[in-house]
Amino acid sequence: MQPTSSMNEQFLKNWQMGLQIFRPSIDNTSVSERKRAIKLSADVAMASLRKGTTCWSRALIQKAATEDSFLVRQMLAGIKEETLINRKLPKIVCHRKIVRRSKKILMRRKSSSAMEEVTAKAKKLVKRKTKGLRNVVPGGEFMSNNVLLIQETLDYIVSLQTQVNVMRSIVDAAEAGVER
Amino acid sequence: MDLTGEFEARSYGGGATREATRLESLHLGDEFRQLALPPENAGGFTALLELPPTQAVNLLRFTDSPSSSSQAAAVTGIAPPPPHSYGTLTFPSNSVLMDRAARFSTEHHQNGNVSGTSSVPSNSSVKTEPAETDSSQAVNNRSGKRKDSDKKAKSWTKKNKSSEENENLPYVHVRARRGQATDSHSLAERARREKINARMKLLQELVPGCDKIQGTALVLDEIINHVQSLQRQVEMLSIRLASVNPRIDFNLDTILASENGSLMDGSFNGTAMQVVWPHQVTETEQSYHHRQLQQPQQWPFDGLNQRAWGKEEDQDHGQ
Repeated sequence: MQPTSSMNEQFLKNWQMGLQIFRPSIDNTSVSERKRAIKLSADVAMASLRKGTTCWSRALIQKAATEDSFLVRQMLAGIKEETLINRKLPKIVCHRKIVRRSKKILMRRKSSSAMEEVTAKAKKLVKRKTKGLRNVVPGGEFMSNNVLLIQETLDYIVSLQTQVNVMRSIVDAAEAGVER
Repeated sequence: MDLTGEFEARSYGGGATREATRLESLHLGDEFRQLALPPENAGGFTALLELPPTQAVNLLRFTDSPSSSSQAAAVTGIAPPPPHSYGTLTFPSNSVLMDRAARFSTEHHQNGNVSGTSSVPSNSSVKTEPAETDSSQAVNNRSGKRKDSDKKAKSWTKKNKSSEENENLPYVHVRARRGQATDSHSLAERARREKINARMKLLQELVPGCDKIQGTALVLDEIINHVQSLQRQVEMLSIRLASVNPRIDFNLDTILASENGSLMDGSFNGTAMQVVWPHQVTETEQSYHHRQLQQPQQWPFDGLNQRAWGKEEDQDHGQ
């Protein structure tokens, strides 16, 4: 699906609301301060489109909350805290060297045909790519299976698209306005 | 992508209706379905299938599915396709029916334990239909599968590809093709793989330039690149907005909010807008003022109108 115009509108409304919170302290004169404010409110606005139903939105809100919890609380006034908590995947701490060595031994033991080697390598590649995808998508580490990961990626891409569209139109308008 | 199984709706409108849908998937003709439909045949029907009454009760117990109405709709949606696929099928003999019913009854036994949990996940998944399909399909594909390697299954699956997307079903039937393993583990795995492949297809359609690529790893690569590029774009846009006159990026929103008006600017339509906002792109109040000083406006803008932002009525007003 492609982003709809209602999504755009909603995003803009939420974003405006977030930016208004920064308005009183408009003398944060440095560009980086303003950029941070803009980006943060844009991210929370994007996440609030989904309102905690998706994993990535919760993770994004959590990340924003570590930077500016006041903003988050203001923007998400109607949402309970519990929907925002992500259940973390139990991370198994393993030493990579040991794991690699044991894997090598296992591979040696197996008498591998050509087909098996190829499929094994393909699977390894896919695993590496999914890990990369988890790193990119917010909250990827909390998604327990690949199906969920891909679903979340889908939704995340659509939301990112709306965010980019709205921001780009505002920026173009603002820059066009300044030029005159 | 080739489906390795068929997907069907199972309705829970009542015992007989359920039997009816089950029989549909058994590739029976219309006349038999009509036979099965009237509810008063329910008791006799179970006798016909030689289902032990306890299992029939088990089936009946799980009729309170939250999405039964949608299933009924899905069933009616499915009911039309079958006739044209096997209009010439003859009524199978009773022995075949018994055989299938016997196999089916074992699955239903597992279904009984499992379907209770399936309705809960589908209840709690708030967001999208894919989410519901996931939880329900995961549970039910494991147990609700017909182990039949009938050749007719293939034509059935192809004709009912659309039924794959019936999202609100707690039960989905998957038919195994010839020569495929039929134990529950591999069936579950196959269902998972199906789901992943379906989602990957959606992703491929979403990300530009992914349709030509073969292979999961490369597609994933493309997806990662796309997401990263979108994130970088957001970053750049926020920097650009921040470096523009500081008054604007905060004020424009307040002005937009206070006056409750919206402006259309046709010149934006082609240029930077990637996808959506079909006819309209909003322009800030500031740039509007700037423009107004220099060019005659294309649209009479009524700044005091309490119009909702970005609605199409504005388009009509404007044009």
